[in-house]
Amino acid sequence: MGSRSGDRVDLLVAAPGRRPMREQTGPEVSEDAILVAAARDGDRVAFGHLYDRYARLVHGVLLAKVPLNEVDDLVQDVFMMAIRRLSTLREPRSFGAWLAAIARNLANDYHRRSVPEDQKADDTCEIDIAHGNTSGDHQGRAAAILEAVRSLPDAYRETLILRLVEGLTGPEIAARTGLTHGSVRVNLHRGMQQLRAKLTSNSSSKGPEQETP
Amino acid sequence: MDTGNKRVENERQARSDNYLWDGSGEPDPEIQRLEGLLGKFRHDRAAPVFPEIVRDRRWTFFPRRMRLFPVLATTAAVVAIAVVTFLVYVGKPAPVTVAGWDVSRVAGTPRVGPKTISEKEGLGRLSVGEMLETDHRSRASLRAEEIGQIEVEPSTRLRVLSMDSGLKRIALDRGTIRTFIWSPPGRFVVDTPSAVTVDLGCAYTLQVDDSGAGLVRTSLGWVGFKLNGRESFIPAGAACATRPKVGPGTPYFEDASSGLRTALARFDFEDSTALRRAGDLAIVLGECRKRDALTLWHLLARVDEAQRVLVYDRLRELAPPPASVTKEGILRLEQPMLDLWWNALGFDDISVWRHWERSWSEPATPVREK
Repeated sequence: MGSRSGDRVDLLVAAPGRRPMREQTGPEVSEDAILVAAARDGDRVAFGHLYDRYARLVHGVLLAKVPLNEVDDLVQDVFMMAIRRLSTLREPRSFGAWLAAIARNLANDYHRRSVPEDQKADDTCEIDIAHGNTSGDHQGRAAAILEAVRSLPDAYRETLILRLVEGLTGPEIAARTGLTHGSVRVNLHRGMQQLRAKLTSNSSSKGPEQETP
Repeated sequence: MDTGNKRVENERQARSDNYLWDGSGEPDPEIQRLEGLLGKFRHDRAAPVFPEIVRDRRWTFFPRRMRLFPVLATTAAVVAIAVVTFLVYVGKPAPVTVAGWDVSRVAGTPRVGPKTISEKEGLGRLSVGEMLETDHRSRASLRAEEIGQIEVEPSTRLRVLSMDSGLKRIALDRGTIRTFIWSPPGRFVVDTPSAVTVDLGCAYTLQVDDSGAGLVRTSLGWVGFKLNGRESFIPAGAACATRPKVGPGTPYFEDASSGLRTALARFDFEDSTALRRAGDLAIVLGECRKRDALTLWHLLARVDEAQRVLVYDRLRELAPPPASVTKEGILRLEQPMLDLWWNALGFDDISVWRHWERSWSEPATPVREK
């Protein structure tokens, strides 16, 4: 088990404490509503399609907050929790936002759980175990950048991880999280600015030989 | 000049923003580099086995604004009944048994859901919908009187999906379990990310790694392994691997030659050329012993038509089919003929499988081919 520290993920930029939701429209959202309705009627294949569609979102939300080697298990926990609580979802079109909220709560629970000191692991080590340290420098650089993203303010890290790690585009992030396009765009822009500054300052403090990409 | 530089910088920034936003416009090399490095952390795990979904309750009798009324009324009635029951039966507590498995801690600190089973407690209960997890130092033992016993090795994660009277079902997400099952054949099923394992009266070890690939090794009786119509039967002394999106491979006896086992693994799971596959099949056919009829029988349905003739001929040499089994029937993969030949191989009666298969295979379908 990895370390359990950190705080709440919040996607807000302009007004912390509130999450600007937008009315979702378009074929993806109406497909969600159909899939959610089918899943509520006991159709596990429909729920499997929802998993395929939203697993990267959940993974990204969790990766922003919990150690890498815990993320896959927690992704599964999120979907297990969702399948049990599906009947409580009032608005099927908000499935993505609802799922992201479950993921954030689970990440918070994870940090609240106490872990014996000797079971805590450091993320660099976890990354090596999870992906095999076949190219040490490359792997180390990726881990360092991930850490830099995770050290950004709450508002930016989740959006940036969804974009840079999970490969979702801004419009996809907006559609799946229920955020407005404007919020996502601002989060990406400002988050990227801060990440650039952080990476530049990290490389200059470590010396020129470590700057080479 | 300054204004010009600023304009150029603004344009560069706008292009970069467009790329960051939706991948359009001129790619920003720095963002591309970050995507390349961070993309390795992207989610790539196959869907887990989902439990049965509890159907949505549809309120039709009461209008929306009165939906809380029946809940409150029911709650009040339940509380009243509980109070009366308590007053009547106080002092005579009856044991309440929830369907599930008794969990014993063997080593370390296994966890049932968020709750740790400490050395002091030693025992716990794993009910339907709950998850048991062991870390790299923990081990646990599960026992259900009417089913059997499961030893849970370190770094394992399993969930109880159902404890119905007809079918007990768990999901092994990762790790290793050693099972000894005494319930009737076909009543105990383990879902893994890449196949469904059905106990047919046996003891076996099942491993699942982080990628969802699995391996079953049977020590007593036999086990059925199935995914999306592809099925394998693994008698005592044999093993069978399984891979996500492929399903069960071809079973083999663990004392078969290493050449046979290696060629079989390539044949089952590697995306190789037709020539290479033909070469691997030739090795398997060449190294087969009489006992390896197990492997050849399974291969009949996994090779193309031209190769099927070769497999048929070799299998007939090692274990001649019953008189009622014709070459044409086997080459057409007629199920009754294949079943008759299987029964003649002396492993077990396949009708057991055919009988029980219907009871678990339909609702299972836990893993989907992508």
